[in-house]
Amino acid sequence: MNDIYASFIEEMAKTLDGIDQDDIRNELDKLLKFRVPLQEAKRIVFNKFNSKKGVEIKIKDISQAPKCFILKGRVVSIEDKNVVIKGENFNLHTGKIIDETGVCFFTAWHDFCLKEGDIIRVHNAFTKRWNNRIEINFGQHSYVEKLPEDSSIPRNEQVFTQFKKIIEINSSDMLVSSQGIITEMYHRNLSIKGKDTIIVEGVIADETGKLPFTSWISMEGVDIGTAISFKAAHVRLLRGIPSLNFSYDTSWEIMENIFDMDLIRNEPSIIPLSSVVKKDGIFDVTVTGNIISVRPGSGLIERCPICSRVIQNSVCRAHGTVSGIKDMRIKAILDDGTGAVYIVLNRELSEIIFGKSMAEAEDIMKISLSKDVVYESMKRSLIGTYLTVRGNASKNEFGTTIVARSAWIPEDDSFSRLESLLSKFTEEGCNNG
Amino acid sequence: MAEREVAQRLFAKELNDSILSFATASNDDVSGINYPNLLISPTGLRINRVFVTGVITEVENLISEVGKERELWKARIADPTGVFIVYAGQYQPEASIFLSAIEVPSYVAVVGKVKIYEPEKGSGFISIRPEEINIIDSTIRDRWVIDTAEFTLKRLDLLNEFLSIDKCGKNLIESREIKEIDSKLREDALKAIEFYGTDQKYISDFKKSIHESLLSIKENSYNKIKKTSDAENVILQILEEFDKGKGVQYTFLIEEAKLRGIPEEISDTGLRSLLDKGDCYEPKVGLLKLIK
Repeated sequence: MNDIYASFIEEMAKTLDGIDQDDIRNELDKLLKFRVPLQEAKRIVFNKFNSKKGVEIKIKDISQAPKCFILKGRVVSIEDKNVVIKGENFNLHTGKIIDETGVCFFTAWHDFCLKEGDIIRVHNAFTKRWNNRIEINFGQHSYVEKLPEDSSIPRNEQVFTQFKKIIEINSSDMLVSSQGIITEMYHRNLSIKGKDTIIVEGVIADETGKLPFTSWISMEGVDIGTAISFKAAHVRLLRGIPSLNFSYDTSWEIMENIFDMDLIRNEPSIIPLSSVVKKDGIFDVTVTGNIISVRPGSGLIERCPICSRVIQNSVCRAHGTVSGIKDMRIKAILDDGTGAVYIVLNRELSEIIFGKSMAEAEDIMKISLSKDVVYESMKRSLIGTYLTVRGNASKNEFGTTIVARSAWIPEDDSFSRLESLLSKFTEEGCNNG
Repeated sequence: MAEREVAQRLFAKELNDSILSFATASNDDVSGINYPNLLISPTGLRINRVFVTGVITEVENLISEVGKERELWKARIADPTGVFIVYAGQYQPEASIFLSAIEVPSYVAVVGKVKIYEPEKGSGFISIRPEEINIIDSTIRDRWVIDTAEFTLKRLDLLNEFLSIDKCGKNLIESREIKEIDSKLREDALKAIEFYGTDQKYISDFKKSIHESLLSIKENSYNKIKKTSDAENVILQILEEFDKGKGVQYTFLIEEAKLRGIPEEISDTGLRSLLDKGDCYEPKVGLLKLIK
């Protein structure tokens, strides 16, 4: 090797503290043999060795993690997943990893032969947001070192369980303990991997809020109205809305009802849209605003009989030519002056709000021979009007959407609001006078 | 992630006084085209999209005068404080068709983006380019006035706070109370005070004009409540007279009410409110019975 590069190699070794000069020389040599320009060769070699370094971070600091980092921890759960991304098949391995500071989901894009309980050190890991949650990713450039057992890293994630009020539970929680009253509950039969399983689903509420729950364990003795306290429930996110999952490592017990039942009534209270759009997702929210736009795709539509996707000209994206099932819906934008959300109303609610049944809508269409006539008619009758919508809010890349569970035209309270506004004026008038 | 921009509620008076425009991104920034041009109103409201209601009082077709655009409609929409000017051209085809066919006067709601035309510095003409425009009833108009009054009063109260703190000689930005307010709101309010010289007089004048607007609505909504309760009484009377155990047909009821001087629309609202209150019920569609 020519010694013209010696000074450069020495310099690089200095910046890349801890890398052997011979390694650098070898790499550079390889590239120069292929007549790679020196400037480019330098860059490549530098990047290669530089990326091997990297800061080691702890899970609690994951939100401020650099682009590329080292992480040491224990794999506490792992499962294989098959996904198709842009037509390509990927074998993913997802699970949870913990260190002495916290828990985090991870996704490995290659098979690193990870097993539950393994202590590993991952180099060149990176983070991604998935379902509004930060996840650690092991990708193409990552490599995994298996380490001997380290007792300073906890064996399971339970140690990181926090006790929280229902409203405080959010996407950053993995495991949580809380207490509340069951306000809704039903059983469901599921077939999981060929085994019939009964799960319990419902809603649990305390005086601060409510959340849906799913229990994979027996909930004997619990019914609607029962107060329970639970430890180490898993927090899952469904379209940005946290939900509680009781699994085999969750414990629960019936407790005395200490809740103020007045606060847990089912009566919805209307909240401003500004506080809805701030959150990633809210379970069971009620909002009022003006319909300021009715979006295309409202009116009479056809759905695929297999997957319920909306289809055009009897062709489904997934199932080819099918004979569609007729349906009606309203997609609109609701705005209350503090925020704006998309709302979606199903056929039943659309019929009520639009004031015409689907059969009547079809008649209108037949008479006018135009497909858009129902959409146009919806626009004419809805734009500008007030509407109250109750349902789950979730955020995606297009903004916040509320899928309506119920919708109604709000009671006209203008008289009382007017009175209270005017009384303020009289008060001020008196004060000034 | 693109969050949809809120449609602001504000009165015509405030909108037409707004001439402070600024771009959210610098002009030479290429990506700046995605950022809206905003106006800041004298009360410190950031405006781009608005939702307004009012009475459409005049529609003009400006084809011959402008000539450049193939079609240009100008409409005047009055709220209790002033007039919104709405222009719809070839890029607002739906609104143009709507304006070409509308009967004047009638109540309308408009969602649109605000445009400013500045022939010279310090004077501007504000207009709205409609995204949506629709006929509404007077109830929605009244509610809008109340909503807008609430929003506007809140902004005026905030401004008032700023001004009174300023008077006490404290540094505006350092003051603790002001710090607790959202930084964007604070920034815009300060800009408005600086640019427009918004002062106590402006605030009290504006409040007076809102007060008057509300009073004009009050008469309206009071009359409506009175009319509906009149209608309710008449309907109850008819039901009592004609219900011989089998109930009364809806069509008959409405006809009978008409004879007694209650228009169809009002007796229908009255009937619905009676049904809601549980004073009568509908055992079969179109058949009404009293609950005794």
